[in-house]
Amino acid sequence: MIQTLRTAASLALAALALGASPARAADTGPIVLGVPTALGTIEGQDSLRAAKLAVEEINAAGGVEVGGVKRKLEIASIDTREAEAGVPVLDALAAMEKLIDEKKPAAIVVGSFRSEVLIPAMDVIAKYKIPYLCTIGMAPGFEPKIAGDYAKYKYNFRLGLSAPYLVGNIAKTMGFIHQKLGWDKMYFVHQDVAWATGTAGGVAKLSAAAGWKVLGNDAYPTGSRDFSSSLTKAKAAGAQVIVPIFDMPESGVLVKQARSMKVPALIAGFISPAAPATSWATFNGEIGGLVNFLFEPGSIPLKTPRSEHFYQAYGKAYGEETLRKMSGHGPGPSYDSVYVLAAAIRRANSLAPDAVVAQLEKTDMDGAIGHITFNKNHQVPFGDDPKKEAVTLAFQWRDGKRVVVYPESVAQSHIEAPR
Amino acid sequence: MGGLLASTLVYGLVNSVVLLLTSLGFSLTFGLSGVANFAHGGLYLLSGFLCWLLMHRVGLPFPLAAAATVLLVGLLGAAIYRTVLMSVRGIVLSEVISTFAVGVAIVEFFRWKGFTTYDFTLPALVDGSVDILGVTVDWQRLLIVALGLALTGLLWLFTHRTMVGLALRGMSQDEYTALSVGIESDWAATLSLGLGSALAAVAGIALLPLGIISINIGYDVLLIALAVTVLGGLESTTGLILGSLIVGFAMVITGNYVGPRWSEVVYLAAIVIVLAVKPSGLLGKSKELEDRV
Repeated sequence: MIQTLRTAASLALAALALGASPARAADTGPIVLGVPTALGTIEGQDSLRAAKLAVEEINAAGGVEVGGVKRKLEIASIDTREAEAGVPVLDALAAMEKLIDEKKPAAIVVGSFRSEVLIPAMDVIAKYKIPYLCTIGMAPGFEPKIAGDYAKYKYNFRLGLSAPYLVGNIAKTMGFIHQKLGWDKMYFVHQDVAWATGTAGGVAKLSAAAGWKVLGNDAYPTGSRDFSSSLTKAKAAGAQVIVPIFDMPESGVLVKQARSMKVPALIAGFISPAAPATSWATFNGEIGGLVNFLFEPGSIPLKTPRSEHFYQAYGKAYGEETLRKMSGHGPGPSYDSVYVLAAAIRRANSLAPDAVVAQLEKTDMDGAIGHITFNKNHQVPFGDDPKKEAVTLAFQWRDGKRVVVYPESVAQSHIEAPR
Repeated sequence: MGGLLASTLVYGLVNSVVLLLTSLGFSLTFGLSGVANFAHGGLYLLSGFLCWLLMHRVGLPFPLAAAATVLLVGLLGAAIYRTVLMSVRGIVLSEVISTFAVGVAIVEFFRWKGFTTYDFTLPALVDGSVDILGVTVDWQRLLIVALGLALTGLLWLFTHRTMVGLALRGMSQDEYTALSVGIESDWAATLSLGLGSALAAVAGIALLPLGIISINIGYDVLLIALAVTVLGGLESTTGLILGSLIVGFAMVITGNYVGPRWSEVVYLAAIVIVLAVKPSGLLGKSKELEDRV
């Protein structure tokens, strides 16, 4: 009988030891961070690179301490293909769920590229209850959704620029042009997607209220390559500023076509292919005078230690050519998102989602994009002073160089009228 | 004159010839061999990237890179027939599926290899612009108009006035009769695929300097080629010109007077309407002949 009990006790101990082993491994193994995004886009690729860079830096410093154990970080990515024409939102969400199911990430960084995907992705996150730090999708519906049901959506945070902040920054720049150059006629051309339509509409509304006459507001389907229709109308109506809002590769044509059609207006807005340092060569110098926005610092660093460190480390890790090609939207906040998350995990001393969320809300640190905090709806505020908030930069292409013209706190020069 | 009307006339014509040039290779291949080459868009995209690679990685000057691209893409088209299509020749659905698969493979290959950045542009053959009816148009677009019209004329002469062209047309009209007079079917189809692919490369090299080489253009070009040729009639050169003019002007008129967001709906609507009302296209005869038989 005693022998039987001893055997049973030994077996029970062995079973306990076996059962405990995986748990101990999970508690000491790498912390997986998921990156489900549109990896076919320059923004997606650069954001993944930036997140990997932050992970490598944190791991090189020993990792993140949780429960007295230093644990490494590990990135698991999946291409959602959501930026490609014809890929349904449900497919992008399915890719994200596949990543969560298979890799069991402790948190997600970078996240959805398209606004149309970001909003339903918040429901996926509500289901899995893991921290989600998005850096590319700009949907204005993000904050109202969290405000509407905090308990359900509290796992969602955004470090990237949101459409309402972009609207405010472009409108401020237009106000500056109105004031300094005395112009008052503007024409909008934008991509026919949610964030661009919302941004163009918002800037038009604010600008009209500030004294601008909005002569037109044309939407172009993704993939359009001929903008002669809007350029003809803008030229005929005497537009002094053309405001483009595009993130599709083909949109770089707009500036070239405006030049060849001798449209005299200043082009000031957002054209993603004309943002990287390499675009001057790509467009044979035909983008001179264009005022373009960098949604977040990164490709052009702020004069702050964290921003300059990111810029230099990115160049060192991936080479000068990749650095010069860096996109104006995504990399900066993606790099910061890993540091913000790591700091929250350290403070929480746990990977429990609710504990990490509580610490994320207390974030107060400097990053590549400026000073990072979250407002009550989990959005990083974007303003004019990088010591207090994250900032958006506007620059003007002049003789092959990107000269920062907004905000005034970091501007190198004022906006110049087209020559 | 200036203004929106003049712009509609000038850019309507330019857009029509852009569509004509884009579709010429697709139409020629079908007209000469009966093969609907659904790899057309992929070959167009390939020509852009290949020319760029020859210039920036091999160091060839643009004219040489362009000539080499046309030659290589033409040879690839011929090779596609010999390796992919020959075994399914005559089975229309299999031909469509095979060529579509080749096109998708080309497009997705470039996506996989990271050709998604903003670096890929080809230089314009001519710089500067000129005023026509008070509308400023760049010389590159005018060159495209001249090239499109010249190529259409030359191809008509080739298919109607040369022995090779007549042999190819004979093969497309009645394969068995053509075989009985010594025209070899596979040779004819290989040549027509090669010529059509080379024309896709010419179109790419002429049109891509207007913008940037982006992956999705591979799919867009196929849709445009389908719309224009289906509208005009798959085997008719005159139909191709008519289809290009109708779709080209309709897109510009829609963009100018309704809104640019609707202009690209036009060519998709053209496919649906024509297939429903006159499946053989405006000047095509194939469906009517089939009905009569």
